[in-house]
Amino acid sequence: MRIRASEVFVTSFAVMLVAIGIVGGCASDKAQVGKRIAPLETEKSASPRPWKRYGDWPQSNWKDFNTLVTNASPPVSRPPAVEYPIQGDAEKGKKLAFDRSRGGSCVACHVMGASTPSLPGNVGPDLSAIGAQRPDEWLFGYVWDARNTNPETVMPPWGTNKLFSADEIKDIVAFLKTLKTSYAFKDGGEDPNRRKLPPDDRDAMDPTENPALFALDEGKALYVKPGPNGSSCASCHADPAKQFRSWAATMPYYEPRMNKVLGVEEFLTRHARATTAEDYLLESKQNLALSIYLRNVANGATIAVDTSSAGASAALARGNSLLERPIGQLNFSCIDCHQRAADHWIRGQWLGELNGQLGRHPYFRTSQGQVWDLRKRFQWCGVAVRANDLPPDSPAYGDLELALTVLNQGRKLATPGIGH
Amino acid sequence: MAEPMKIRATLQGDVADVKVLVNHPMETGQRKDPNSGEPIPIHFIQFITATLNGKLVLEGQWSQAISKNPFLGFKLKGAKAGDKIVVSWSDNRRDKSSIETTVAGG
Repeated sequence: MRIRASEVFVTSFAVMLVAIGIVGGCASDKAQVGKRIAPLETEKSASPRPWKRYGDWPQSNWKDFNTLVTNASPPVSRPPAVEYPIQGDAEKGKKLAFDRSRGGSCVACHVMGASTPSLPGNVGPDLSAIGAQRPDEWLFGYVWDARNTNPETVMPPWGTNKLFSADEIKDIVAFLKTLKTSYAFKDGGEDPNRRKLPPDDRDAMDPTENPALFALDEGKALYVKPGPNGSSCASCHADPAKQFRSWAATMPYYEPRMNKVLGVEEFLTRHARATTAEDYLLESKQNLALSIYLRNVANGATIAVDTSSAGASAALARGNSLLERPIGQLNFSCIDCHQRAADHWIRGQWLGELNGQLGRHPYFRTSQGQVWDLRKRFQWCGVAVRANDLPPDSPAYGDLELALTVLNQGRKLATPGIGH
Repeated sequence: MAEPMKIRATLQGDVADVKVLVNHPMETGQRKDPNSGEPIPIHFIQFITATLNGKLVLEGQWSQAISKNPFLGFKLKGAKAGDKIVVSWSDNRRDKSSIETTVAGG
């Protein structure tokens, strides 16, 4: 296959391969999986356009802030001139500081004295005595945009990114000034520095524990179900347990015909369109079921992706820079939470490291009662930091998936997983 | 269409530990479709039974208060390896499903 073949050529090539498949038995039986010559539909989107965010997710449009592909966030700004010492309403400030609807509340990352609500986090320093340690000017400037004082900070720029107005930040500073004495937790479970991870003794492969295993059965059934043109996956790949015993562990891969990275799920959509004529859009029940099945047969295989080609290494470089790209109104990058602040509590949730995230997707999310794949997880991470989500087949998510997979190389596939 | 179930029964002494995971949406009738805003019709399991070698050992009337994908666990005294356990449910749409297993030795 020539790199960057014209789209017309690609389409006719795919049609030709389908024709061979129908007339003369499956070409791909001999053409081993992994040689990357599988027929693919390359013209259409693999998810609905225009992409519409899930109706039960937050619906705000954060168009004034970066996404993975657009630059919109305001630059670092100096705090506005206010009168010092600050005259603010400490009671109002306390409410704002603990208000979860305003970016997660300060307690997500900080312990704040005796009035700290339940389950504070420890990403940021303990602020229990901050009022005795820092002057008003310093506090106002730090809450407004901490990057002025500390370029390495992961704290959202509350003022610059319009999460709080200048008057609200004055109230917050007035509250911070009331915090004067360090606080000792009586309950070790409340203290984020002593709190232990709850034991996870679930067996993800126990069919009476993990509802995602229902999807595995569905995937097995879809694999042998003939598509609109009469062929099924099994028509060409008769022995999936053998033929795909490591395939999923080599994904995602750089696809020169599309100049983008394809994961298992998008590959399935495009390959099925070109072979069985089924149209299993990304994040659909069928797509997830087949993805779980084809990953499940590779369980135990070591994640090892090929980034040797020029296209793949360029995609990897793009993915690595996306990992560091701050997005959304909260201005977080992947590494802010999962590298710099990893192995800490953000409120009651534990931030895991980048290495350790992969191998179990698609997985059953107990908090959602749904099976999610990695792309949906990416979309959700974006929305959680108040950045607009991209369509799941966005090339940027492909680059990110590749970079994240490289960081997880050496881990073994264990699909489907189960988690919060 | 009747949804599938998963079942496992293992013997511990003379007690069979039975675990069942039911695949069912258990819609309360109170939820709205997040995309269309239309109410999602009520759809929940009403009756669930378990038999040991044909004899009724558990009978339950469930309601829409039970979670999606319900998990049912119970212990049966006096069971032996090889005994047949059948769990069946029927819901408010008169869908039914049933699954059987034999008790595995501990």
